[in-house]
Amino acid sequence: MAEGFDIDHLAKLARLSLTAEEKALYSSQLSQILGHFQALADADLPATIDDARVVDEAALRSDEPGPVLGAAAVTRIAPASRDGQISVPRVVDDES
Amino acid sequence: MADALHTLSAAELGRRLAAGTLTSRALCEALIARYQTVNEKVGAFTHLDQADVLAQADASDARRQAGQGRGPLEGLPVAIKDNIAVKGQPLTCSSKMLAPLVSPYDSHVAERLRAAGAILYGRLNMDEFAMGSSTENSALRKTFNPWDLARIPGGSSGGSAAALAAGLVPLSLGSDTGGSIRQPASHCGVVGLKPTYGLISRFGLVAFASSLDQIGPMARSVEDCELLLNALASADARDMTCFGPSDRALSAAGDAKKLRIGIPKGFLGKGVAPEVAAAVNAAVEFYRAQGCAISEVELPSADLAVPTYYVVATAEASSNLGRYDGVRYGHRSSVAGTPVEMMTASRSEGFGPEVKRRILLGTFVLSAGYADAYYVRALRARAKIRAEYLAALAGVDVLLTPTVPTPAFKVGEKAADPLQLYLEDIFTIPANLAGLPAISVPCGKSGHLPVGFHLVGAPLSEAKLLAAGRLFEAAHGYAHQQAAL
Repeated sequence: MAEGFDIDHLAKLARLSLTAEEKALYSSQLSQILGHFQALADADLPATIDDARVVDEAALRSDEPGPVLGAAAVTRIAPASRDGQISVPRVVDDES
Repeated sequence: MADALHTLSAAELGRRLAAGTLTSRALCEALIARYQTVNEKVGAFTHLDQADVLAQADASDARRQAGQGRGPLEGLPVAIKDNIAVKGQPLTCSSKMLAPLVSPYDSHVAERLRAAGAILYGRLNMDEFAMGSSTENSALRKTFNPWDLARIPGGSSGGSAAALAAGLVPLSLGSDTGGSIRQPASHCGVVGLKPTYGLISRFGLVAFASSLDQIGPMARSVEDCELLLNALASADARDMTCFGPSDRALSAAGDAKKLRIGIPKGFLGKGVAPEVAAAVNAAVEFYRAQGCAISEVELPSADLAVPTYYVVATAEASSNLGRYDGVRYGHRSSVAGTPVEMMTASRSEGFGPEVKRRILLGTFVLSAGYADAYYVRALRARAKIRAEYLAALAGVDVLLTPTVPTPAFKVGEKAADPLQLYLEDIFTIPANLAGLPAISVPCGKSGHLPVGFHLVGAPLSEAKLLAAGRLFEAAHGYAHQQAAL
């Protein structure tokens, strides 16, 4: 169960940039932790996951508009904003 | 009198406030004076806006004078873990990713506390994003155990527990995903309760693992813990898993001397320090002498709890923490480039080592080719563990174990071995996996270090847990204990 994993691929999926030292450390630690998870592979488990939920109902709230924070409060906590909008790096090139 | 206020219980302070022999301002001034001399040693708080506290206290005193007091928490300070939103106060999760964010809104529990007249008193240190068992993972500061400043206070609600044990505040809020209220409570000699999943709204609690997270009360006595719990539990449509006590009947406390107490087989054996086992066994004998029926129960899948938890919790964390991308709030890297490069740099700079470790682990157990072997099997194991706990609790009222296998360890002792740290939560994790209420109550010392016992009950049996705790507390001298600092 605890077969090897590709730390570079994992980091890419997780949107993390790791140094060589971090890659070595996390690879070693994750291998150890995944080894501990072997008990899950060996266990006799129920066939379904239905009983894993701790709240019985399929709880869905109504899809109704409610109070919102508003642009001023949102842009106040944004890393960068301009003219009441959040600024981000260019997503789409002008030329296309 | 002011010097002694920090030693008093919330209930006693409430009585004095109600009787008019104490004002909230005088209480808060005394606690601020205590903060100024003690917090630097203990490091429980990461932020305290003294002017705001005194303004809240004056408003409370004015309400009371006008005959508009709001109940038993009126004028009482409640300190809050830094992952629970309070409008106008920092909300950092002790992470560089969020510092210095100021919350633009109140959590449901903050609304409840304001409605009850409580003083929202400062921000408490924690493991970054509640990931840890020692509060060593905070990016903001170190927190030390008030009983031994060379040792950890537990975690992730280490600031919440240490603040109580140091006499910095009479009441605090923590959050508990795998033991994060109960384990630090045990290490610091205070009371901590994780409610039934759904009893307290998670609206405004920064998500770590949403199917496991619960906010809960912490205090120096069971009575005070109950006082705070009663103010927090209410239905909230903004948390779709929150039902609140008005929707479902809480079990009656009953006669604590007639409780049927189950002792899980093997839980007091391997890995439990002898002094911890002795203190917990003494608690069992106390309950037997009171007339409680003690029996051994089987929980055959208990060994699966830690791996199950670390698969489910990290999977949910890797998803929940995907929102920190440097776009809408939190840290944004100054590294220029594409949006993906900006997001990757922001996350890499903002998250600390334990958070990265858990995101990587969670990403792996959910990834293509591995999700069935890890995540789905963990959900099946969770179902099995829950079924075994519910079956055991059909025959007894509560299950009694140690809260933590060993007393608080030295700062740095387990920092290089995450797996050893994960095993700190071996007794507390099942209650989260099964959605059950659980409480840690101080029951003795190992040398100079506090030891707690742990009670788990059926869903909505908080009153039974509290009654059992009160019975023990009334006969022993561990309530209201504070470290000499």
